[in-house]
Amino acid sequence: MLRRAHHFALAGLLLLAALLAPAVGAAREYLQLFVTQPYLELHTGPGRGYPVFHVVPRDGSVDVLFRRTDWFKVRTEQGVEGWASQTDMQKTMLADGSPFKFDLGDRAGFTNHRYEMGIFAGQYGGATLVSGFMSVSFNSQLALEGALGQYLGKFSNGVTGDIGFAHVLAPEARWSPFVTLGLGLVRVQPKATLVQAADRTEQSAYVGGGIRYYLTRRFFLRAEYKAHWIFTKRNENEDADEWKLGFAFFY
Amino acid sequence: METRLRIFLLTVVLATLPGCATVRHWFQRDHQAPTAATPGEDENAPAPRVVDPEVSRRKITVPKIRSRNIEVGLDYGVLSIEDFGTHPSYGITAAYHITEDFFFQGEYGRSRAGRTSFEQLNGGVNLLTDSERRFTYYDLSLGYNFLPGEAFIGRGRAMTSAFYLLGGIGGTDFAGDTKFTVNFGAGYRVVPADWLAIHITVQDRVFQSTLLGSAKLTNNLEARIGTTVFF
Repeated sequence: MLRRAHHFALAGLLLLAALLAPAVGAAREYLQLFVTQPYLELHTGPGRGYPVFHVVPRDGSVDVLFRRTDWFKVRTEQGVEGWASQTDMQKTMLADGSPFKFDLGDRAGFTNHRYEMGIFAGQYGGATLVSGFMSVSFNSQLALEGALGQYLGKFSNGVTGDIGFAHVLAPEARWSPFVTLGLGLVRVQPKATLVQAADRTEQSAYVGGGIRYYLTRRFFLRAEYKAHWIFTKRNENEDADEWKLGFAFFY
Repeated sequence: METRLRIFLLTVVLATLPGCATVRHWFQRDHQAPTAATPGEDENAPAPRVVDPEVSRRKITVPKIRSRNIEVGLDYGVLSIEDFGTHPSYGITAAYHITEDFFFQGEYGRSRAGRTSFEQLNGGVNLLTDSERRFTYYDLSLGYNFLPGEAFIGRGRAMTSAFYLLGGIGGTDFAGDTKFTVNFGAGYRVVPADWLAIHITVQDRVFQSTLLGSAKLTNNLEARIGTTVFF
């Protein structure tokens, strides 16, 4: 029965994918850009190694179809489609003569960006922790962030979910420290061999801090410590230390 | 006589000339004279137009450029669970392409373990219950497009492709326990259209198991084929 349900879900998802595909390619209005350099090179693929197969001369125009990482898929007036690099696209201009500006994903972006995402490995109260986080920045210093983690210990496994604020102290620095404060939930799943075997969910609060180190492009390392207070239903509250190191990017 | 008349006329002209300099003020008395309180506006005000065009300015909106960095898809393959045989597996993959070289990938998949050779040889022995034989993995990996290139079909069709390496961490639910799992692998991706990709991936998931007495690292190899859609 369960197996059948799985097959159904699989078939449904496949159908969804098939249905979505034409919608993705539907006609829309594209941004038109003009070449100001002697020429704009079009590559056969979105990567530095792909050969140049076409050039658009100065004052020629291209429609920007979409962007994938640091490459733009463009279409010329003659209908030739190719990939132009971010560096080359910086030298184009809009129809009104103003330069084409876009998010480059460089050091300036590290200081000021909208979203962050990353994965961590670490320790949670002595257990191995795997976690992921995502944050939305309000400005260069304040961000709202959520983290989901799973810890796997000798006596219990569990899932943690946190939501809170992060304050970046020196956003323009390469080594940029931050402090965090927030609330969370912990789902504790004791191992079956122990006496007190029922799963339980507890509320928690945390305070923490860490450091971010800008690597290159859109990447940075993030090391973090959080002190959790777990408000148990028993007489005594518990506390757990969380240490983690991760790899993250911004966009 | 003539000289005196000339002197008289000259005096009249000299006396009236400064008065003429004030002519421009005579007519401005009717208008609202610019007040001394806003001298700054005067300097910045645009020069008076000779012809005032009766055209309303159109507001130009610059179309937003769509980013297509997210890849979501399904896959199907075979998973060899150490000691428990090889069985079909299926899963969901989601990836985010950060640069042309790197991407983040999340995977979730399921399979079912068979019977160990020990169980098969001893007819009635069952090491695991039916529900404990379900094998579920989920992990987050970092991918590196190691060998990007192009693949060709015939003379007229080229598709971008890449051979990539994967490595990451996650968890595995198996035999009534969740294990910390490290994964690594490699895959090949072909992109026949801007929105579609086809993957072939081989991945090893390693975790410590104490199921058969002593603690040991188990390798669980999976080979799968998948389709993804770019958003």
